[in-house]
Amino acid sequence: MDQISVPVNLEQVSKIFRDPKTKSDVHAVREAQLEIGGGELVTLLGPSGCGKTTMLRMIGGFELPTRGRIRIGGEDVTFLPPNARATATVFQSYGLFPHLDVFDNVAYGLRVRKIAAPQIETRVMEALDLVGLKALARRAPGRLSGGQQQRVALARSLVVRPQVLLLDEPLSNLDALLREQMRVEIRRIQKTLGITAVYVTHDRVEAMSLSDRVVVMKEGVIQQVGPPSTIYERPDSQFVAGFVGKVAFFPVEVANTTAAGPVACTLDGKPVMAGSVAPGVGKKAMLMARPESLRLGNPGEGACDGTVSTNVYLGSSVESFVATEYGEILVQIDDPSMSRVRAEGSRISISFDETRVRLLPVAG
Amino acid sequence: MFSVLRGSYEKTILQDKKELLLALTRSAPGENGDVEAWLEEARKTYPALHLLYVRGIPGVDEIQEFSLDAELKALWQARQEDKAFKTGIEAASYLETFVMPDAVRLGSGESLLIFSPVLNAEGDTARGIVVAAVDETVLTSFNNLTYALSLIAFFVFALGFGIATFSRDPPTGYAILVLFSIVLLFVAYPLFTAVRLTFVQEGRFSLAIWKDILTNRQYLGALAGSIQLGALTATLSTIIGFLFAFFVSRTSMRGKKLVTALATLPVISPPFSLTLSIILLFGNNGLITKGLLGLENFTIYGLGGLGLVQTISMFPIAFLTLAGVLDAIDSTLEDASLDLNASRWETFMRVTLPLTMPGILSAWLLVFTNSLADFANPLLLSGSFRVLSVESYIEVTGMNRLGNGAALSILLLLPTLTAFFVQRAWVAKKSFVVVTGKPSGRLSDLASKPMRIFLLVFVVLTSLFIVSLYGTIVAGCFVKNWGIDYTFTTANIVEALQRGREAMISTMTLAGIATPIAGFIAMIGAVLVVRKQFPGKRLLEALMMTPFAVPGTLIGIAYILAFNEPPFLLVGTGAILVICYVIRELPVGLEGGVATLRQIDPSIEEAASDLGADQATVFRTVILPLIRPAFISSMSYTFVRSMTAVSAIIFLISARWYHITIQIYNFSENIRFGLASVLATALIFIVLAVFGLMRVIVKKSEHLEKTVTVQ
Ligand SMILES: Nc1ncnc2c1ncn2[C@@H]1O[C@H](COP(=O)(O)OP(=O)(O)O)[C@@H](O)[C@H]1O
Ligand SMILES: [Mg+2]
Repeated sequence: MDQISVPVNLEQVSKIFRDPKTKSDVHAVREAQLEIGGGELVTLLGPSGCGKTTMLRMIGGFELPTRGRIRIGGEDVTFLPPNARATATVFQSYGLFPHLDVFDNVAYGLRVRKIAAPQIETRVMEALDLVGLKALARRAPGRLSGGQQQRVALARSLVVRPQVLLLDEPLSNLDALLREQMRVEIRRIQKTLGITAVYVTHDRVEAMSLSDRVVVMKEGVIQQVGPPSTIYERPDSQFVAGFVGKVAFFPVEVANTTAAGPVACTLDGKPVMAGSVAPGVGKKAMLMARPESLRLGNPGEGACDGTVSTNVYLGSSVESFVATEYGEILVQIDDPSMSRVRAEGSRISISFDETRVRLLPVAG
Repeated sequence: MFSVLRGSYEKTILQDKKELLLALTRSAPGENGDVEAWLEEARKTYPALHLLYVRGIPGVDEIQEFSLDAELKALWQARQEDKAFKTGIEAASYLETFVMPDAVRLGSGESLLIFSPVLNAEGDTARGIVVAAVDETVLTSFNNLTYALSLIAFFVFALGFGIATFSRDPPTGYAILVLFSIVLLFVAYPLFTAVRLTFVQEGRFSLAIWKDILTNRQYLGALAGSIQLGALTATLSTIIGFLFAFFVSRTSMRGKKLVTALATLPVISPPFSLTLSIILLFGNNGLITKGLLGLENFTIYGLGGLGLVQTISMFPIAFLTLAGVLDAIDSTLEDASLDLNASRWETFMRVTLPLTMPGILSAWLLVFTNSLADFANPLLLSGSFRVLSVESYIEVTGMNRLGNGAALSILLLLPTLTAFFVQRAWVAKKSFVVVTGKPSGRLSDLASKPMRIFLLVFVVLTSLFIVSLYGTIVAGCFVKNWGIDYTFTTANIVEALQRGREAMISTMTLAGIATPIAGFIAMIGAVLVVRKQFPGKRLLEALMMTPFAVPGTLIGIAYILAFNEPPFLLVGTGAILVICYVIRELPVGLEGGVATLRQIDPSIEEAASDLGADQATVFRTVILPLIRPAFISSMSYTFVRSMTAVSAIIFLISARWYHITIQIYNFSENIRFGLASVLATALIFIVLAVFGLMRVIVKKSEHLEKTVTVQ
């Protein structure tokens, strides 16, 4: 199954729904600008109701954008119906045809395309083989487990050789173990086929582990686009930082800037250093710290003092919750040899790994 | 559309004028009479009419013109040679009346000219012509109304057309267009025509009909009768229905299935059948009244008998509604109450009854509206008691007063609409039925022992009564002359099948044609309502649902009014019956389709479309198989209801296209109860067979419904 990898472009795409009850407008997507490269897997990540599904459905042709253009492989498809687009969607609820068995479900798209029967047979079996369901070809979908249904849905979408694969929270109905397994599976298949894919999820772990790039959305607006590592380590905003991982914020003031390297700041008068470009001397900023960029020390040593309230033992690490004047702060201790973990109730101080903590603009 | 509306309207008005003129010209003086005096006389009587009297036929005789209206005379002299004038003169010389198609300017306004012949004493030759000018402003004000409505219709059409042409989804566009055309033409237009007729008298806007309706004691009596009957039936039905529902849903006695089946039988039984058996049992020559009790002055005809028959036919509606409500109430609530040491009676009064109250009112209203719209039972059984539905039928068929008939039927709509809005406003708000899924196992019997015995006896007796009613009809088939001579005979069967054969065949043919059409329209309508967004959706939905609320008599009257002339000359054809069946059963099919579709995950259809299927393919390969149960039950419902229709089609049947139920009615009217019984029995078996068949087919596809799960 060879596929041509085509890019997908969203140009200033907006979608406004009219709420039938309140008669008010809902801006589901606002002026989204996005270039997805051929063969790339991009996830749309954001809290529920932020417009991910709407964006995906516009690419699939299920919703018309209120404004803007959508191109697939350079061709303007904005007004094309779903059946005229080279996209295939894996729905959150799978949308399997209950009156057809697994084979006929997968064969549906080929039959609609009037492909010859022997060829349908081979292609369907090939697709079922790809998702490991060859043995269940004659089962009714109602008699499959969630994970199997999910695979049928995937096979059904892939068998028509779409140029773009769209997945809307495909794993949300599966249990945790299966989810991890299918995640790997989907990534493997997508890589093998080299197909362009857009994947909607609200699960940051899923987004991080799966995608070439992550698109973080909030209230219909794209907040940041970038590879998982960038999104995690160098978020542009407090929202993105908080959404993609555990994080603590400290309000600081910029004290001194140099051309390169860490910026000197003050946290309630105490000097601290942080990465990233600074907004200018004397300006207020937020210092963002991931749990793994914090260290515990004796009181007075670090940037802020506090009391260990709870230690959570996780095997490969320990998470210490520390009560400070900036709220409860989570510190991850990677090597949980007892010497580095402080007892609950002990006074400690927190210090920053200055190469890993970053300055962010104060959320307006 | 516009020209049709306008045409039919003008025709009504001009018809009046033409007749008036013919009468006038008959009084016109002959060769040597005093024309001036006649003209003076005519002006006094009809000031709105401008007349010109032409003695002799132009081109044939020497002519002489008389008129009190100089302008009309001048016009005549100036344009005598015009083509339209010539046609008028020629028509008159052939003894025909002719209306000039285009209005002419006369004085300050537009007028239509009507040419009418003056006959000789023998009445076989034209001796002259009377030309009348009719002020057209009367027409214009109505035309404006019609025009506005047509504009709206056109607008909707254009919209649909636009959707079809420019949308991404033309099949949907066409479906919308087709459905809109159907409901506009066969729902909106006939009803509009009927309503309009009630406001017209002699071609002018007039409230005369309504004044008559609302002051005439006879009509008011019918209104009161309908309401009285409705209230009686609704109250009795609700009580009986509640007892049955309570028995089935709240006690642990056996035989519930059988009781449910028996109790629902009357809903699907053909019209006239229960009335027939009531007459056989309690009528003037009834088995019980005369045969057993020897009563002389007793009559079943009237409010009492009607209430009895309607209650038996309609309590199942209340029963089904209330059983649904009771089943939806989690019985653990009652168990909790009992557990808190309330007695059974207290529990019933404080928990069960309040929770069921909205359901009780719903059931009452539902039966009430059904009783008002009922036509078949009162037709046979009302005697001197008057109800609106029959009254409007008599107005139309007996008195030829279509306007009054339409107005009475519209009057019938008012209580129905009131009931509907009460239902909406009150019941919906008050509905605090706690739906917590399935009743969680019956723990305790809510009824005490004496109560249980009472319930059991009541339910059994009622059921036996229902069974015996059906038994009576069957017995009626084999009795020579009911009430007089109870000898066994099979002659009835032979005669009934012979005489009823054609009606039976035509009914089955037409119902058979209507069935798939109604099924498809209902399902396509359901898809549009549930899945598609388009301008005018609300209107389309409302129009499709309208026939549900409109009494059959009104639909029948509206159809004769709307479809009795070209291009919609449908009266007398089989088509009008088919259309009537389809339109009347559309709402129920639509509801069924909508309910089923709402349970189907939309992403199933989206997936099909995504995989390359166009809208028509999605409908055929995915939607239709999935809503098959609704589709089939909608179709069998349409078939049965069409076969058993009475109220609307009684206006629409013709000698060629007769209807089996009307045949039953005619037999009963002529006291040929044996023949009526045979046809009624046949109809009952057909109905049972169709529903049985439907159950078998639907059951086969039941695994489908189970797999259609909404996530
Ligand atoms: N068909 C619709 N009609 C009206 N509002 C809608 C419709 N679909 C989505 N919305 C609204 O648009 C917003 C974004 O929805 P959605 O794209 O489903 O969010 P997500 O998938 O990120 O949870 C929500 O506020 C939702 O209520
Ligand atoms: Mg979503």
